[in-house]
Parts: sequence; structure tokens; C-alpha cells
Amino acid sequence: MSLVLDLDELRPDTATSVGGAKIGRLVEMGAAGTVVPGGFVLGVDAYRTHFRASGLDDWIGGIVRSLPADPSDDRVAAASEEIVGAIRQVALTDELCDAIADRYAQLCKRRGDDALPVAVRSSATGEDGVQSSFAGIFETYLGISGAVEVIDAVRDCWASLFGPRALCYRLERGISHDDMPMAVGVLELVAAKASGVAFSVHPVSGKPDRIVVEGSWGWGEAVVQGLVTPDRGEVGKSDLRPLRYTVATKKVISDYDPASRRVTEREMPPELRDARVLDDEELCAVADAVRRIEQQYGHAVDVEWVLARDRAPGGPVHVVQSRPVTVAGPAPAPAAWSPASFALKYAFQGNR
Amino acid sequence: MATVVPVDEFVTDEWYPGFKPALDHAGWAVEPFRTFDKADEERFWFLDFHWPRGLTPMGLIWNEDGYSWGTQLAAESLPLPPGRGITQRIAGTHTYAAAIDVTDEWEIGERARRMMQNLPRFLENFEGTWAERRAEVDSWWTHLQSVDLRSLQLPELGGYLRKARQFHKRAFEIHFEIMYPLLANYVGFYGACTEMGIDPGQIAKFLQGYDTKIMETDRALWDLTRKARNAGLGEVFAAHDATAMRAALSAHGGAAAGWLTEFDDFLQVYGYRTEGSCDIALPSWIEDPTPALGMVKTFLLKDTDHDFEAALANAVEEREAAIDAARSSLSREEQEVFDAGLASCQAANFPWWQDDHNYYIDLRVSLPMRWATQQIAEVVGADASDDTIFLFWPELLQVVDGERNFAEFKGIINDRKQYFDHWYGRRASMPKVLGTIPEAVTDPILIEIFGLNSHFLTAVQAAGDDSDVKTLSGVAASRGRARGIARVLTDADELHRVQPGEILVCESTSPNWTPAFAKIAACVCDGGGTLSHAAIVGREYGVPTVTAVGLATVVISDGDEVEVDGTNGTVTVFKRAEHPDEVVSA
Repeated sequence: MSLVLDLDELRPDTATSVGGAKIGRLVEMGAAGTVVPGGFVLGVDAYRTHFRASGLDDWIGGIVRSLPADPSDDRVAAASEEIVGAIRQVALTDELCDAIADRYAQLCKRRGDDALPVAVRSSATGEDGVQSSFAGIFETYLGISGAVEVIDAVRDCWASLFGPRALCYRLERGISHDDMPMAVGVLELVAAKASGVAFSVHPVSGKPDRIVVEGSWGWGEAVVQGLVTPDRGEVGKSDLRPLRYTVATKKVISDYDPASRRVTEREMPPELRDARVLDDEELCAVADAVRRIEQQYGHAVDVEWVLARDRAPGGPVHVVQSRPVTVAGPAPAPAAWSPASFALKYAFQGNR
Repeated sequence: MATVVPVDEFVTDEWYPGFKPALDHAGWAVEPFRTFDKADEERFWFLDFHWPRGLTPMGLIWNEDGYSWGTQLAAESLPLPPGRGITQRIAGTHTYAAAIDVTDEWEIGERARRMMQNLPRFLENFEGTWAERRAEVDSWWTHLQSVDLRSLQLPELGGYLRKARQFHKRAFEIHFEIMYPLLANYVGFYGACTEMGIDPGQIAKFLQGYDTKIMETDRALWDLTRKARNAGLGEVFAAHDATAMRAALSAHGGAAAGWLTEFDDFLQVYGYRTEGSCDIALPSWIEDPTPALGMVKTFLLKDTDHDFEAALANAVEEREAAIDAARSSLSREEQEVFDAGLASCQAANFPWWQDDHNYYIDLRVSLPMRWATQQIAEVVGADASDDTIFLFWPELLQVVDGERNFAEFKGIINDRKQYFDHWYGRRASMPKVLGTIPEAVTDPILIEIFGLNSHFLTAVQAAGDDSDVKTLSGVAASRGRARGIARVLTDADELHRVQPGEILVCESTSPNWTPAFAKIAACVCDGGGTLSHAAIVGREYGVPTVTAVGLATVVISDGDEVEVDGTNGTVTVFKRAEHPDEVVSA
């Protein structure tokens, strides 16, 4: 079995076991008709082989086991630093490097750009679980180009499995890193006009009758990391009708920086700061994609989406990630009108 | 630490000089009306805005029939889950009211269960019920109005007085039987709307633009104004005080005489109306047309007529636009809730009823008792026609039943008139609240009509440091912004002091204040909510209005320049009026 696989080679029913949670879901969504970026994946076997053969597994296991039951933040940080440093010291095998370089070259060739910028995304086994989402803990690198840089980014993704927050999170929940080997996806970077996240239910109230879309200009990192206040729109789920839209003042943009050859954050260009990101057609197109994904999975999802620069009205919305939404409590449907219930709730409580 | 305003100053068992009631002197449903005792300090009392002059002994009947009977009976029969209605005390001649709380959790739950059964039934039948009740009130009214009191002897006058009281009491049974469920439904819908993210400032608009008897009266008054202007009577009105207007118009003759005939026709239809709510001390416009003539005089000062057709059309247009805008932001599922709730509130429309019912009940229901007391005064040879309203109900019955001679009361009536005047003079300095200020009150009438919401409670709690207050906040009751000179009024009698473009500042308004909304730039009230009279009329007239400011009449001085932001519910006091002493010394 090959350690590096093209996404096209994965089957939806086994994609998660081969390519981890995030890549697995991309393959599942792609098979169901959602537009997802192409690319390849270093499967969980690549991780296992590398960590076992290099002796990293045993060495890391020793450090983690040596931590006390309830370690201080400093202890965890020190352990993390030691592990991450070691991972960065150990080179990938020539065989693996060649496989990555080869797949990257093929991807470049297909897209007609021999320094094609890609997104290198962590895809750990068992992340995005309903119980433990590991949300935002593992790294994603946007805009990487060149085989050497891609290989470095792969190793950085692996290292992020042992970042201080990841270590803490697992220790708190009693999860072993052995149970979550990390695949890494190398995906074509969609040239983003705008990006963001979307929820198939209201993320705070849990209302299931609407899709909530948040977005800003450029790539989605600034939105995902909370560095920018995004525009926010709501769309009725049953009829895909725009309900409301709030234009935010967006101060930061995630944009491609040719100098560092990365997508990085910079100040939002003044003409875009207060400009509305999504028109109604785009808003509803995002919502439509989200609704389809929720139907596919049969549960509420959150989604990271990208609108390509060359997208025309009616064109596709790229989905680069989705996972089960974690909303506290059951989602209440809007209660049917009942004068007595609403009077009981509001007229006699003295809460006005 | 709860804020407590002491009641000590007002603790007494004497209601007025020479009167300590027997325990059974009036009926009550849950708790009788009485004076303050020290234990009352543990409860929360607020100064009732309805009677800015104070109440005479006979006027206190309202406290018995309205509060201790009407509200309590209605609160028990709906029932209100956490409350048994409203009770009250008097401090001097001024009424303070309080909620009667249900505190047992099981009982609140049991009452909630009954309310859940009863409220939908009431709402389904509202239109028919209100039509029946109106017919009943009209039937009583027609009957009592048809009696020629001048033909009656003292015992028969006693019978008429008792019947008039029965009408009064029944009218307030009806008043609160309707008001509590209608209001509860509206507040529930309001809550549903805010839950769905609808701007609270828009909600009252969904129910505006329906014609009421009070609006009909205002229209008729403006018709008369236009006729006066067209008949060239502007100068006559400008030259005379309202009190002398009828005589001046009669003397003028010609067009003025014709106009007076039309004015009298108007009074026959709309003139059985007092200049204030439910007070036997107040004459109707028929008895004293000064207020109506004064309004025409004021309206003539404006260059243009108030275009009611346009205002109503505008209100309807604004209503439909507000409904469309709100619906468009709702999901299909929410639209179903909204549409059903709106239909329910339109069919049983509280803001509409809140204006409309004043014509049938509040503004005329005390008149038959007043006629009886005046005729009794005539028959017993009283010095003044209002002497008899300075007797308490049991005393007056003793007179009409021949048990006591009226002459025995002459001295005490004088004392009581002085007592009334003394307390009238103290009105502006009466504490707005007494007793223990709570975090919240639960009775929807107290919250929505008296404005005892969080704004108000916060404001009265902060009363100690009002000297530096420049910006006051309250309920955004009618949107828009206006700046002008403040006219701080304690009584509708003073409305003539308000010039066009000025800002009305008062405890609260009632229907007799309505015509002023055609000329004021904005309105600020100590009490009230989004549904109080000022809020409803403010929206109809497009006058920025802020209610539940708490201490507006204390903090704002007459002549201050203030800016009212009815959209955000704030009042900014820009410049204090020059203190008269400083002017003199300068």
C-alpha cells in the first residue's frame, strides 16, 4: 500500500481510515457532489511508518509517560518543545520525500504551474469527534509552494500533534497520541476572493431553521482564528432565502504574500474594509452547499468555504473542511404560536 | 442592599380629617384599600400618575372599585400566576399602588395551569366579549343618563347614587377582565418577537393604525378648529382666555353663534368625557367646555390643520412596512409563529383597546355619581356643588338615608377642602416610590402601563445622586429625535402653557393630553412603557417619546433645553434654566 495517495484514489467508505478525519470528509463530500479542492494525502500509514522507524514513537512515549498526573502548564510546554524539536530534527526517508515530490510535481503539471501554491492541512485520526473536536489545535499552512517547502510543512503539521495545546487537550481527556495518527493533506490552494465559515444551525441559539454564514475577503484563516470580525449573514434553511446580513468593519485580511510564499495576515485594504463581502447569490450558494452537506451527514455541520476569484454567479462554492457542529444542548425548533405559553414566559416574569 | 424609602411620614389611620373607616365599609377581592402602616415599608409602592391633584373622599372610591375590586378580581380569575392584582394606600390624598404577589411556588404553578386554559379561550372570544361588555356599559350609561335627577327626592337620589356606584364598580370589573389577558397576550407576542431577533422598537408598530373612539374625538375637534378658522374666528379665539371663550363667542354673534351650535352638537356626542381618568371631582366637557375650547384655541395657533387622514394612512403604511420588514428577516418556521401571534394580537389588539376603552369607561364612568352628588348638594342646601364629594361614601349614604343631617358636616367639609389643597400643593415633591425597591415586579400592568421596568427601578434606586444627571434613560416609546424647551407639567390643566415646538415633560399622560401631541416636539414621562398612553399617541402623531424615565419631572426643570431621542430612549438635559434668584442678582 502506498504511503502517499491522490485524493481521487480514495474511496469514501475507507477515506477516513486512510487519510484521517478532515481528508476523509473531503473525499466523502466530493463523492456526494460538493466541490472540494484536488490534491494528495500522506496517509496515517506514512505517519506511523515514519514515527515507528525513526524511533520517535518510543522516545515521545517516554516523555509523555514521564509527565505527572496533573502537570503544570510549564511542564507541558517544556515537554512539547522537546518533542516538537525532535520531530523537526528527524528527516523524512528519501522514499517518502520522493513520493511527496513526485505527487506535487504531478499536481503542478495538471494545473500548469510548476510552483503551484498549495494548502498543507493536518488530518488527524479522531479529530473533529463530537466529544473532542480538537478545533483549531492542529496546523494548516496556506500558500506553500515547492517540494522542499511542502515536505517541511508536512513535518510541521506532524509536530503540531504535539503542540502544548494538543498535549494538554489529550491529557485532560485521557486520549493517547497513539490513537490519533496524523495524515496530512496537500491540496490545491483555491485562489480565494472571499472565504469563511458557515453553520448549518445557529451556533449560539442552536436554531435549526437557518444557516449562518460568516465571511471576509481573501482566505479564511483570519476568520477561523478570530483575527477579523467577519460579515455575517443568515439564510432560511427550508427556502434558501436571505434573512439578514450585517456588514462588519474588517481590519485584517489573510492574503497571499509572494515574498514569504505563504498566505499571511496583513491590514485590510481600505477599500475593502467596509465593503459587503457576499451578495445574496453568493450567500445563498454557500448556504446551499452547507445544506447539502448537512443532508449528506444527517447532522448539523460547520463548514469552511471559499469563493474562487473566477467564480461566476451560479458557479460552485469550494468547501475545504467540514465537521460536526458542537452546539451546547439540543437545538430548539421555533415553538408554534401559543398565546398562553408565550404569556407565561414573558408576561409574568418581571424581566422587562 | 435593598433601597428603602421610609413610609413613616404617611403612617396614619385617618383617611381625611374626621374619617376613620369601619372595616367593612367597602368591598374588596383580595386586600382592602387603606392608609399606610409601618409594615407596608417592606413592600414596594409607587406614586400613581392617574390623579395628579390627589383624590377627594368620594374620589377615593376608585381605589375601592378599580384596584381593590377590579384588578384583584381579574387577577384572581384569569388568574395571573404570580400576582393577585394591585393594592393601594394613600399618603395624604395621593395614591400609591403596589402589586400583591403570590409567593408559594406550587400555587404559582397551579395558577399558571389555569391561566394556560383560560387565556386562549378569552382571546378566541375577545371580539364578541368586548362587544357584549361595551353594550352592557352603554346600556347602563343610557339608563343612568336618562334619569332626570332634578325630579328626585333625597331618598331616590340615594337610590340613583347606589346604582351609579354599581355601574362604576361593574365597569372596572369589565375593564380589568379585558385588560389583563389582552396585555398578557401582547407581552407574550412581544417576547416572541424579540426571541426571533425583531427590533423591539418596531413591535408596537405592527398593531398601530386602527381607529379608536379617542382618535375619532380628536378628529372632530380638529374639524371644529378648521371651521373656526374658515369662519374667521381666529381673532376671537386669540383674544380671549378659554374660560371666557363661550361668552365671548356668544357676544360676537353671527358666524360665532353658528359655530357654537356645531360645538354643542359635538359635545352631545363626545362631551361626556372628563379631563382625567376616573375622578368624580372632574367635570365633563358638557359641564365645563373650557378644555375643549382651549384645545381649539391652541390648535388655531398652528398654521396648518393636523391632517388625520394622512396621519392614519401613514400609520397604516408604516405598520405594513414594519410587518413586511420583520417577516423578511424570519425563517419560514419563524414566520408561522409570527403570523399566528400577529393575527392573535390584531384580533385582540391591546394597544388599540388601551386607547379605545377610555371613551367607554375611564373618561365617563364617574359622571353619573358626580351628577348625583351635585344634585344631593342642591337638595340639602350645600354651600358649593362639590361639598358632597368631600364626604365619604358611608357619610353621604347617611345623609341621603336621613340618618344624619348634612349641616353636621359643614365644618369638616371645610377642613377636608383645606386638607385637599395642602396635599395638592405637595404633589410635585411627593416621593415617586415608597418602601422597599425590588429588583423586578411581575404584574404586567405595573410593568407595561406604569412603566415599573428595569429602567424605572434603576432610576429610582439612583435617586440619591441626581444632581449631576445630564442624560436620563427610559423606554424608547416613539422614535425620532427632537430638541427644545421643556415644559414640566403636573396636570393637564396646564397644557395651555405648552407652546408649539416645546417638549412636554410630565408624570404620565392620559387621553385628555392627546391634543397636545399635535403641537409638541417630543414627550418625556416619568412612568409608562411601550404601551402607555403617551407611547401610543406619540407613535400615532410621530412625536418622539421616551417613557419610564423615572425622575424626569424632578431632574428636568421648566425651561430647560432638552434633547429627546425616542429611538434610543434617552433624554439629554443640555442647559439648566436660569434660576430666578440668579436673574435677580445679576
